Amino acid sequence: KEETGTKVLYLGHTLPQTHPVHKGILEFQKALEQKSNGTLKVKIFPDAQLGSEREVLELLQIGSVAATKVSAATLSNFVPEYHILGIPYLFRDKDHQFEVLEGEIGKSILQKGSKFWLRGLCYYDAGSRSFYTSQKAIRTPEDLKGLKIRVMNNQMAINMVNSMGGSATPLAYGELYTAIQQGVVDGAENNPPSFVSSNHYEISKYYTLDQHSSVPDVLLIGTKFWDKLSEEEKVWVQEAADESAQAQKKFWNESVEESMKIAREAGVEIIIPDKSLFAEKSKSVVEEFVKEFPEMEPIVNQIKNK
Amino acid sequence: MSIEIISIIVLFVSFFTLLLLKVPVAYSIGIATTLSLLLNIDKLPGLTTIAQRMTTGIDSFALLAIPFFILAGDIMKRGGIANRLINFAKSLVASLPGGLAYVNILASMLFGAISGSALAAASAIGSIMTDRMEEEGYPRTLSASVNITSSTTGLLIPPSNILIVYALASGGTASVAALFIAGYLPGILLGFAIMGYVAFIAISKGYAKGKRATFSEIWMYFRKAFFSLLLLVIVVGGIVAGIFTATEASVIAVLYAAILSLAYGDMKIKDFSGVLLSSAKTTAVVMFLICTSMAMSWLFSFEGIPEMISVFLLESLNNKFAIFLAINLILLIIGTFMDMTPAVLIFTPIFLPVVTTLGMDPVHFGIVIVLNLCIGICTPPVGTLLFVGSGVAKVSVTQVIKPLLPFLAIMVAVLMLISFIPEISMFLPRLFDL
Amino acid sequence: MSKVDLIFNRVSRILEVFMIVIFALLVLDVLFQVFSRYLLGTSFTWTEEFARFALIWMTILGAAYLNGKKEHLSMDFLYQKFSETNKRKASILIEVLIFLFALIVMVIGGLNLVYTTLHLEQLSGTLRIPLGYVYAIMPFSGFLIMCFSIYHISNFLKNKNIE
Ligand code: NA
Ligand code: NA
Repeated sequence: KEETGTKVLYLGHTLPQTHPVHKGILEFQKALEQKSNGTLKVKIFPDAQLGSEREVLELLQIGSVAATKVSAATLSNFVPEYHILGIPYLFRDKDHQFEVLEGEIGKSILQKGSKFWLRGLCYYDAGSRSFYTSQKAIRTPEDLKGLKIRVMNNQMAINMVNSMGGSATPLAYGELYTAIQQGVVDGAENNPPSFVSSNHYEISKYYTLDQHSSVPDVLLIGTKFWDKLSEEEKVWVQEAADESAQAQKKFWNESVEESMKIAREAGVEIIIPDKSLFAEKSKSVVEEFVKEFPEMEPIVNQIKNK
Repeated sequence: MSIEIISIIVLFVSFFTLLLLKVPVAYSIGIATTLSLLLNIDKLPGLTTIAQRMTTGIDSFALLAIPFFILAGDIMKRGGIANRLINFAKSLVASLPGGLAYVNILASMLFGAISGSALAAASAIGSIMTDRMEEEGYPRTLSASVNITSSTTGLLIPPSNILIVYALASGGTASVAALFIAGYLPGILLGFAIMGYVAFIAISKGYAKGKRATFSEIWMYFRKAFFSLLLLVIVVGGIVAGIFTATEASVIAVLYAAILSLAYGDMKIKDFSGVLLSSAKTTAVVMFLICTSMAMSWLFSFEGIPEMISVFLLESLNNKFAIFLAINLILLIIGTFMDMTPAVLIFTPIFLPVVTTLGMDPVHFGIVIVLNLCIGICTPPVGTLLFVGSGVAKVSVTQVIKPLLPFLAIMVAVLMLISFIPEISMFLPRLFDL
Repeated sequence: MSKVDLIFNRVSRILEVFMIVIFALLVLDVLFQVFSRYLLGTSFTWTEEFARFALIWMTILGAAYLNGKKEHLSMDFLYQKFSETNKRKASILIEVLIFLFALIVMVIGGLNLVYTTLHLEQLSGTLRIPLGYVYAIMPFSGFLIMCFSIYHISNFLKNKNIE
């Protein structure tokens, strides 16, 4: 939609306004409006007002919404290369992760989306996902046996939990609180800020920091909107995204600290397990993955050897 | 005038014009949405977005409970379940002054509770009770009024499809399980309030009392109705105990109703394709309404309408009590000419943010909006329950209106109680920690 | 009965069979999901996705069927007060509007949706089927609705069957 001389970039995402990733997006908005002298405006729709992650990605392709922020896990159903980022224990630590994401490999994955009309702009830190359970503590992979763990509706996540011995149960996120409370599932897995903002910490006794995967969030712009921008505007958008990514990492770290404090004070027992035991179990997931996508094996190896 | 204001005017003017022209409601919503959206977005992306919202709007496992409860209700409607419930209700309350009116109310409550459909309750109970009540001197129009208003209790007492629709419209902030539990007390309160008014009429007009049933008679009728009533325990108990989700409970209800009606001999295997077809038709009516309503509510978000209305209400009224009252009034007016499902889908996203800002629980608001619209389906010009209820009583809609008015007043009074005393709705969900 | 009426009846009957079959599959699918979890102790990830897609198909195909039978919910409190000629005019107008909505949104918008998702090779989460196939019910039903509207309009013009 164009008003006199200004372009409005409609951006929809599914997170609440208190979320550190939303704060990162606000930085993007601020930086872009500043760089463009107000000629490029960003209108943000949080709380899934414009639809779920998958639905908004489609709207980017259709061309009615300009930009969005989704998890790389959702994106992998559109752009297969993002599957790589969901591989359990792919990154050694956060430094390794962002060295890869902000380096050539990460950028090339962002570019891959253009073929599917979804141009990646930058990665946001979404931390590491870990298990939380309502009744039974998970200290080793053996403890997962027989536990129904809610996962995202994503093959990699399902395979991962099953390979570790749990029983993966895909369930809508909105139904999860009641499902845990009533024992329809025994637990779920997520990063600390989501564990707390969803209030799942109120009904979970244990949080096992096995940090099995570090799927980042991705800020995307539809190529339908992107192609209409001038070269100068494209530079502004990319720069604003990069700046927001750096700011967001700080918001994220603050939020993790804050969330862990809230969880601890609420009486959640934080378990620090031997991660290598879980990593060992999940190796079959990588093998299965490279069997399905042999063309991605070199990238996986490249990341691991970096 | 800004483009937002113009597109809102286009939306509402075209919508109501189309409705009045007798364009089907689902299409009125779809066409109005299309006209308004095309003012904002380029043609092809705009049209494609509506097509996408219509499909993804119903892409939800939770919504599956709707066709399943419809099917379970249709299976039960065919058999002798209505009669068994009436006999059980009669053994309990027929000996009170105006006994048969109580029987009607209680049977409608039970049937509505089990089937989750006010229309099913009104037609199943009304068709049997109106004649029996006439024999004892009740005007048919009075029987119709009793039957129509008491059937709405089934929409509050779980299982209830409209509460599932509300859960969807609330964007997951209210769970189906919590809403189901929350509906019990308001539903029962509404039933009792209607009974209270009937007692007043019965005593002043001297309607006959029935014979008091002996305990063994009550026990006999209870046994006969037992398996029908057990369905309630299985469905709601299963959800609350965490044995299954609401959707899974609904399919269990189908299986249970099917087995029960086969066992009672009410249905044969070959009857099922007919029932499936009629339920599929009802499902398509409701779900297609949801399709276009979801497109419309997306347009609302896109244009920031909920935000605008919320800011307007909060700033101009600036008083919690006045805002609740205003919202209730708006909903009552909407309810007179709009059917329940689209009204819930369209107005929940608009009003929910306002009331939650003021500290109202989304579950509580769900009960308020549903009860409010329960009144709407009993009123002209558009009242599906009023039409069905008058139809089965074989009286004209205009004849029913006068005796119906005091009942509607009772409903409004109950609505006020439930709006301003959150505990009526929230006591049970809190008790069960939902 | 004219040949067109025969075709209309045949198409309606086929749609009925489809709706019954899809509904029956839905019931079996979700029952299977519940029982597999409790009796077999495993959850199959495809049952939920199948159910969601089947519901979309049943709804949108069912909407086309309802158009054929004119059984969609509508509000006739003003319409009742129209004269016979105005009722006929309004009925034709209603069908024209439905025809246009089906053409513009369901067929054109729907085809572009199908084209976009197929072209971009988008697959569903667990069944791994192209989502374009799921969306294809939209233009297909839209086309049926257009045919039904033409059929109804021609009947109105022949001045039979006003309601
Ligand atoms: Na009910
Ligand atoms: Na009404």
